[in-house]
Amino acid sequence: MLSRREMLKESVLLSLAPVVPTFLARTALAAGQKSDGRVLVVIQLDGGNDGLNTVIPYRDENYARLRPKLAIKPDNVIKMGDEIGLHPAMKAAGSLFDDGRFAVVQGVGYPNPDRSHFRSMAIWQSARLDNAEHGQYGWLGRALDQSRAGDGGPDAVFVGSGAVPVTLWGRRSTVASMQSADELSLAASADALRAASAVGVDGELAQLARRSADEAFTTAQRLATFVQPGDRSRDGAYSDSALAQQLRLISAMIKSGTPASVLYTAQSGYDTHAAQANEHYQLLRVFAGALAAFLDDLAASGLSDRVLVLAFSEFGRRAAENDSAGTDHGAASPVFVAGPKLAAGIFGPTPNLADLQDGDVRMAIDFRQVYAAVLERWLNVPSEPILGGHFAPLELLKPTTA
Amino acid sequence: MTDASTSWKPYEPGPAAPWNLRRVVHLRRRAGFAGTWSELQRDLSDGPQEAIDRFLAGHAHTSGVPEDFEAVSRVLGDAAVSSSNPQRLKAWWVYRMVFSPDPLAERLALMWHNHFATSNVKVNSVASMREQNETFRQSAKAPFNETLARVVKGPAMLVWLDADKNRAGHANENLARELMELFTLSIGHYSERDVQEVARALTGWRVVGDAFRFDPAAHDDGEKTILGRAGRFAGGDVLALLAAEPATAKRLAWRIGRTLLSERAADAAALDALADGLRDHELDVGWAIETVLRSERFFSDGNMGSRVVAPAEHVVGTARALEYFSPPPSTLLLAEWMARMGQELFYPPNVGGWNEGRTWLTSAALVSQANFAAALVDGRLAQDAAPPDLAALVSRHVGDANLSRAVEWFGELFFGGLSKEARQAVEQAATSAPGARGPLETAALLLLSRPEACVA
Repeated sequence: MLSRREMLKESVLLSLAPVVPTFLARTALAAGQKSDGRVLVVIQLDGGNDGLNTVIPYRDENYARLRPKLAIKPDNVIKMGDEIGLHPAMKAAGSLFDDGRFAVVQGVGYPNPDRSHFRSMAIWQSARLDNAEHGQYGWLGRALDQSRAGDGGPDAVFVGSGAVPVTLWGRRSTVASMQSADELSLAASADALRAASAVGVDGELAQLARRSADEAFTTAQRLATFVQPGDRSRDGAYSDSALAQQLRLISAMIKSGTPASVLYTAQSGYDTHAAQANEHYQLLRVFAGALAAFLDDLAASGLSDRVLVLAFSEFGRRAAENDSAGTDHGAASPVFVAGPKLAAGIFGPTPNLADLQDGDVRMAIDFRQVYAAVLERWLNVPSEPILGGHFAPLELLKPTTA
Repeated sequence: MTDASTSWKPYEPGPAAPWNLRRVVHLRRRAGFAGTWSELQRDLSDGPQEAIDRFLAGHAHTSGVPEDFEAVSRVLGDAAVSSSNPQRLKAWWVYRMVFSPDPLAERLALMWHNHFATSNVKVNSVASMREQNETFRQSAKAPFNETLARVVKGPAMLVWLDADKNRAGHANENLARELMELFTLSIGHYSERDVQEVARALTGWRVVGDAFRFDPAAHDDGEKTILGRAGRFAGGDVLALLAAEPATAKRLAWRIGRTLLSERAADAAALDALADGLRDHELDVGWAIETVLRSERFFSDGNMGSRVVAPAEHVVGTARALEYFSPPPSTLLLAEWMARMGQELFYPPNVGGWNEGRTWLTSAALVSQANFAAALVDGRLAQDAAPPDLAALVSRHVGDANLSRAVEWFGELFFGGLSKEARQAVEQAATSAPGARGPLETAALLLLSRPEACVA
């Protein structure tokens, strides 16, 4: 016999379906679509980005001292004013910064930093510090519960490999997921597959599997109408990198009028413990290049005003480099926001490298202040219930009349 | 109550939990890779003791096992290493899953692959990844402290977590942290200071010519304080110290629960009892596996049809149930299908491994699962492009059968039985589906895409 508690636990787990039956995207012809709907695009930088070598306090003598092998020379930094500049691999982001479409928020973290990838990512994804609340709902899943697209969703799309990030898990909101359009090319009749599984499904987990499959088959059917499988042509300046191709697919979905208001992707490889100089260069080059290609692509389609991009990593890295010419897990680091509606290019104070906390950059801005800005000012949902408390929104965005 | 005798009472068939085809299929799918019809029938008539004995003794697979299995496996593994081709290494492991007499060993190797998740993305050595994989298999049921030492000191892990870069006075914490967070204690049972001190103790572990070597010159010989104990600890001391912690037994019980039980059946009290039992048995994993497999809990209704099947389990189980042995499907292609469904062997997503459970149910995985079934019935899994002869298989086991009887039999073979309602839906969809496939092939495709194929 199951106890009541066990039953509850089970039903809570089952309600966390990462996917449920809905349409991935209505075509532009579909009724009720908000063509002016705002879209949030999140890029998760997996592994802990070395923030100090991304947004570089190039004038600070402590920087050169802490980074004898890895410091970027002041001449090579892409200047963002007198104190800081971007890593030289981020030229594309530098141009976006110059025309007001790219901003950095410095020193973002959470109280009592944890150097575990998993706990730190769980905190960023759930916006909850308590371990007991991890692996349940994500901050955007909760937000989408409040502002559902309605029937014909999904509310969010994850484009990337592996499981749907906890960030997007909600009570009722729905998520579709794929790495590329090719993956959703179906070699059998979606109608027959749905019909064959429509009845006689026994047990809650099997029911979840049925709903998930329904969503997948329907999504596959719809996707085929606006993205050609195998098509990897370079729209605009998209490179062949995984991130660029994922953003290209996201762009195609936005153009097709997806009802999803959150599109999420990830770039992995930031866990640079050893010999990181070249690796980190490549990561940042891909990131900045893909971001610029994406924003330019949407701008050319007249859609960029609808888009805000947020990029974060679970933590920064230790201020001092390690003895393997790499960096170990640290704490606060910069968050990036991009799009044409930014109020400024630099938020948050430049890290004080003379005043570290256990060798890490101190948190200057709570990550939930960034989330509060996105929730209140972009997605237009109250942030308190989602974040579990009041966090003053950063003034990231220009005031709008809309 | 954390008493192994109540939480892990042995299973005895009875009116409430009869030994029937459903439980046979449950055992086969949960502890192995499904079963052929003759394997299922034999388990059914021999009873649970003998069926479980066969799993534990390493000869649960009787159909399709080549006499020279180990010799062929060795040749394939050696060829993968000498070619340095990771695709061939994946194919080698898939060959073992499909053709080994011992499915439990391969399932436990998968469990360890996820527990000690190491990716060739960084290791970049087919030889080291194969060596680690052989360790997973050979240590499948060994006492955990032995497995821990062999895996952590293996070249694949040392490279994966930068052990070579961790030297006296120049600590690199990567291995120290994951050792405690993922391989033994789990988060919350150690401090940041412990991470730093363990890193110091692990200094001097090097990889020289693809092998472990202790380098005294790189080792920090000073005193360390780890989990409140002070001493001039070296790497081996740390492993022994961590293995002896109660939190490690709990972590291990949790891992075994994830592998063999549904979330519902793996309740906290039962896992605590299993952890206590593990400590009483010096972390003997074999004891724990046997305890779980023989338990009433394992065969309870709450543990059946309630765990999401991992891609490797689905792909291999499908090939085996359909007796797809001669000519066999391409194991290279089977490995590719697993990857499309989200489980690329030797390339787990990160050191935490695959999250398993409902996270397998992505849109891409479910479309891939249907496409895998289509490729199978269309004959696109075999080098000679001959599809498995489903009509001959049905006729061999049930004689003359119309579509309705064939669907019923496939339901028994794959899932231990399907409701009449479900069978009718499949039959109807199979006869009315557009396209060039025959109704029997379409029915098999639709059955292998049913929700029951996703859970076991």
